[in-house]
Amino acid sequence: MSTHEHAPIQVSDKVSEFEVLELALRELAIEKGLFSADDHRRFMEWAESRSPAAGSRLVAKAWLDPDFKERLLEDGTEASKEVGIDWMDPTGEGTPSDYTFFYVLEDTPTVHNVIVCTLCSCYPRPMLGMSPEWYRTPSYRRRMVRRPREVLAEFGLHLPPDVELRVHDSNQKSRFMVMPMRPDGTDGWSEEELAAIVTRDTMIGVALPEPGRTTNVRPPAAGS
Amino acid sequence: MSNFKIGDQVTVRSATTLFHTRTQAYTRGHTGVIVEDRPSWIIPEDEAFEIIDNGREEPFWVVRFQQKELWPDYTGFDGDTLESEFSERWLEPANEGSS
Repeated sequence: MSTHEHAPIQVSDKVSEFEVLELALRELAIEKGLFSADDHRRFMEWAESRSPAAGSRLVAKAWLDPDFKERLLEDGTEASKEVGIDWMDPTGEGTPSDYTFFYVLEDTPTVHNVIVCTLCSCYPRPMLGMSPEWYRTPSYRRRMVRRPREVLAEFGLHLPPDVELRVHDSNQKSRFMVMPMRPDGTDGWSEEELAAIVTRDTMIGVALPEPGRTTNVRPPAAGS
Repeated sequence: MSNFKIGDQVTVRSATTLFHTRTQAYTRGHTGVIVEDRPSWIIPEDEAFEIIDNGREEPFWVVRFQQKELWPDYTGFDGDTLESEFSERWLEPANEGSS
C-alpha cells in the first residue's frame, strides 16, 4: 500500500514530430561519431544548469555604475563580457539560426517593457538560462501580444494607465532582456544585495523588483 | 543601401506566407513607426534553406506599433505599444496602399 496520498502521476507517452526528428538526428550523429551520447548528456546538463544570475548582476552593476549602464544600453553584446558572458561563444558570430545581437530594454517611470517570442521561444539564454516553461506556451505567446495587461495581471502585476506597456516580440536575430527600475528602499545596497532582488521574472518584465523579494528564500505560504 | 530611416511611418506588406518569413501574420497590413535600425544580415527566407554564402542581406528595422492599431478590440490603454523587427523587403512607406 502506498503512503502517497495522490493520484498516480501520468506521464504522457505522446511524442511530438519535433521530438522524433531530434531523436532521429541525434542517433544518427552519435552513430556517425560526431559526438557521443555522453557528450550530449553533458551538454544538456550544462545548458539546463545555466541560471539568470548573469542577468541579475548585469542589472545591479548598471544601477550602481552610470558609465556601465551607458555602455550596456549602447552595446549589450559587448557590455555582457563584463559579467563574463560572451554571446558569440563558441562560433564567433552567434549561431546562424539563433541570437546575434543582445539589447537591454530600460524601464522608465513612463515605459514598462516585457518580452515574448510569438514565433517560438526566443529568449536571452546566455544571460538568463533556460526560459520558464510558461514562456514557451502558446497561451503566453499569443496572449502577451494581444492582451498583455491581462496576462500581467495574472502574474499579479498591475501597471497604471499612464505607463506605456511596450511588448517586444523577438522575431529575428535580436534577443532582449528588461532592465527594471531600481526600487526605493535600496539606498546603499551592494551589487550583491541588489542582484538578489533582480529575479528572472523582473528581467522578462512580468514582475517588478522589491526589497525582500528574492528567489533564495521561500515565499510565505498562502494567507500567512 | 537603405530605403528607410528612423522616424519613418511604414506598413508591413501582406505578402506570401509560404516559406520561412518570420513576419508575423498579426503585423501584416499594419502601420507603425521605425524606432531603431539593426545591422544588415541574411533574410530568413534564405537562411532557413542554408543559403548563407549567396544569401540576400538586408537592413532590418524595429517597428513600433500602437496596440490599438494592431488590435481593434485591444483591452489595454491608449499609450500601449508593441515592437518587432522586419527586413526591408517586408516594409513599405505608409499610405501607399498594400502591395
